[in-house]
Amino acid sequence: MTNASAEPLLALSNVNTFYGQAQVHFDLSISVARGHIVCLLGGNASGKSTTMKIILGLVKPRSGDVTFDGASLLGLSTPQIVRRGIASVPEARRLFADMSVRENILMGAFVRNDREAVAQDLDRMLTLFPKLGQRLSQRAGSLSGGEQQMVAMARALMSRPRMIVMDEPTMGLSPLYVDRVLELIRTINQEGVSVFMVEQNASLALEIAHEAYVLQTGKIVLSGPARTLKDDPRIRDAYLGGSEAA
Amino acid sequence: MSSWLDYTINGLIVGNVYALVAVGLALIFGVSRLINFAQGSIYLVGAYIGWVAVVQLHTPLPLTIIVVAVAAAVVGLIIERFGLRPLQNSVRIAPLLATIGISFVLDQLVMLTFSPNPRALPSQLPDIRFQVGGGTIGPLDLLIAGVGLTSALLLFVFLRYTKLGWAVRATAQDRDAAMQMGVDVNRVNQAVFGIAAALGGVSGLLVGMYYNQIDTAMSLQATLKGVVAEVVGGAGNVPGAVIGSLLLGLVESYGVAMLGTSYRNLFAFLLLVVVLVLRPNGLFVSARQAPPEPLTGTFIAPSRPVHIPRWALLVAVAGFAILPLFPVSFYVLQTLINAWLLGMLALSLTLVAGTMGQVSLGHAALLAIGAYTSALLSLTLAVPVGLAVIGGGLMSAALGTLLISPSFRLRGHYVSIATLAIGEIVALVILNWESVTRGPIGISGIPPLSLFGYDLIGPTSIYWFSLAVMVVLALLQGRLLTSHLGRSFRAIRDDDIAARAYGLGLNRYKSLAFIFGGFAAGISGGIAAHLYSYINHETFNTQQSILALTVVILGGLGNVVGAILGSVALVGLPEVFRIAAEYRILIYGIVLLLLVRFRPQGLLGTV
Repeated sequence: MTNASAEPLLALSNVNTFYGQAQVHFDLSISVARGHIVCLLGGNASGKSTTMKIILGLVKPRSGDVTFDGASLLGLSTPQIVRRGIASVPEARRLFADMSVRENILMGAFVRNDREAVAQDLDRMLTLFPKLGQRLSQRAGSLSGGEQQMVAMARALMSRPRMIVMDEPTMGLSPLYVDRVLELIRTINQEGVSVFMVEQNASLALEIAHEAYVLQTGKIVLSGPARTLKDDPRIRDAYLGGSEAA
Repeated sequence: MSSWLDYTINGLIVGNVYALVAVGLALIFGVSRLINFAQGSIYLVGAYIGWVAVVQLHTPLPLTIIVVAVAAAVVGLIIERFGLRPLQNSVRIAPLLATIGISFVLDQLVMLTFSPNPRALPSQLPDIRFQVGGGTIGPLDLLIAGVGLTSALLLFVFLRYTKLGWAVRATAQDRDAAMQMGVDVNRVNQAVFGIAAALGGVSGLLVGMYYNQIDTAMSLQATLKGVVAEVVGGAGNVPGAVIGSLLLGLVESYGVAMLGTSYRNLFAFLLLVVVLVLRPNGLFVSARQAPPEPLTGTFIAPSRPVHIPRWALLVAVAGFAILPLFPVSFYVLQTLINAWLLGMLALSLTLVAGTMGQVSLGHAALLAIGAYTSALLSLTLAVPVGLAVIGGGLMSAALGTLLISPSFRLRGHYVSIATLAIGEIVALVILNWESVTRGPIGISGIPPLSLFGYDLIGPTSIYWFSLAVMVVLALLQGRLLTSHLGRSFRAIRDDDIAARAYGLGLNRYKSLAFIFGGFAAGISGGIAAHLYSYINHETFNTQQSILALTVVILGGLGNVVGAILGSVALVGLPEVFRIAAEYRILIYGIVLLLLVRFRPQGLLGTV
């Protein structure tokens, strides 16, 4: 491999974040290699969602750096970061509930100006998410949770991102849709899009991730290839505690 | 006599004009959850720019409309860029207060430039009426209907088929998610303020032509009507705003048909109160839409109040108490008497708005109730003045609390709107209930202040009396704040859901706050009535409500000493610098804007 491709696509280095007086992140360092799925695991209030917000520029860290493709993202606004090639699937999907499914998906292409290609991509989304075809003119808010997740993913893909960040993509979905979503994440990744996802459900996430980090009260306590972490007793204790069934 | 059809046509035409204002308010509320109290000022600016264009530059009608729309849009962009964008990360109350400050500044600038006298604004259209069924319709009616329909159509096309329009809709539904799609929210805000201002300006022009008269009082009226229409339709709902406006126009028109012109506004505000009580989210809001977010907690800037040692307060009170023993002029005492009266009102408002979190914009109504009660008790029932003033306080406490009680379940901006409406209703009832209040003639010959049979006529005795009353009220309020009641008030302000979960009954505590606050304000009004010896329905107006709010914010919301300090500063400083009366309101507006921007917690800090 050459040096250029060894450089990670996204890197957070020594990030310290505060909400007022309370520190959320302590010297957080995470990197996402090109073409990989990286997963950030952690319980409630561990600082996972804030990590997402840092990447998207919705929250600014007090110190440290965030780079994407070698250039710092600090000082950029969220729309500017999106234009650099990062799309997001936010927590609880956050669709535009009163807009139609078609409008929601096309909103994902807001940063693009190539109308014909956008129309082609819309068609591509309908082959990737065939169920959405019959739903195009329906209000997005009227869909089921799983269908909404499909729309959110299609919306994120429409910007032709180099990377997608996802906040708990399987949360609140039926088991059937959980499998479907994971499968889709894999498909998206195989088409060359890097994925950074935040998850609470460690066993599922480690199924598809290349690397994983474990965040506990704002500190990375464990990291490494997903395959190794899966068998790590510490992760079994901490996060797969309820996995006696497995 | 006009026919019912005429009243219907008139109602729809006026409704069309309101719609131009209300749609702008709805757009702005949609994307930034802000009720823009400066919308009426833009409408005013539009009317005066139209006057300049028509009367001085003799522009043809289509050009006039374009000039007004463009100029108003520029004003809207300036407001957005310099008045509101710097407050983006500020507390929620900040932009609301900023729009109030901006409206004062704009209104005063127009008044100073063009004088407060009404001007005629000719419509340039032929004065003919066409017979339609049992009614008539003129070219101006058609113009207004045409402008209304065209604007609605353009807005629909914009929102539905343009990229920026999509961005506006997406931002209105989920601001963060829109940003994550790459939407630049500042551009959306700009677009929305520009459009809202253009529509508002054109509305002002058309109204001016419709009544063939413009004056600076139009501004507040337009804001009020626009807000009523928007809230009736469902805040942030653009088609709802149009329907709400037409409904408002019809209700007013039929109300006027039944009872007369002076009842027009009464019907408007009653409609608002009925809607707020029965359907606080408006008539056409979809059930899915998120309820008005809890505006508590971060609504008011949290801060550590400045500690003032007890001896310093004692020294200050003693100093003011012995002031008349020194050779000071009548003028100084008079000024301070005004400060003490305003201080009582500010104590009331700082309790209700600061400690309790219910930002009232109609506090002058409490003054009016106290003043009329005290004046009428002493005049018609020959009650001794001292008792009459206390009666005024009690009446204000009782009636004020009763009137506001239907709005106890409202939060944030909605409380402000409801109090504003209730304040207007009180003024309108005073104007129209002639058998008791003597209507527009007002009450004259109110006996002077007296205590135990001694008339307080000299400025020194009045000074001491008002200072003593204010100090007693302040001590009571200080005691109240340190009691468990004060803690409960603050708990409800900071998080009413958590407070309820701990078993605090919101209605009970809100009532208590308004009873205490109503009493202090009523006493202030009562004393003022006997001091002025003449009062009418305009003596205690919205400007005073806003002045009191500025005072309270200047001192620090909830801060008792701050309220008094703020009163002395806002009454005293303009006198010290001999600022002419017509510039004062301008200065209050600027003070409010600077405070919100640079010291939202006020001089002494919020409590």
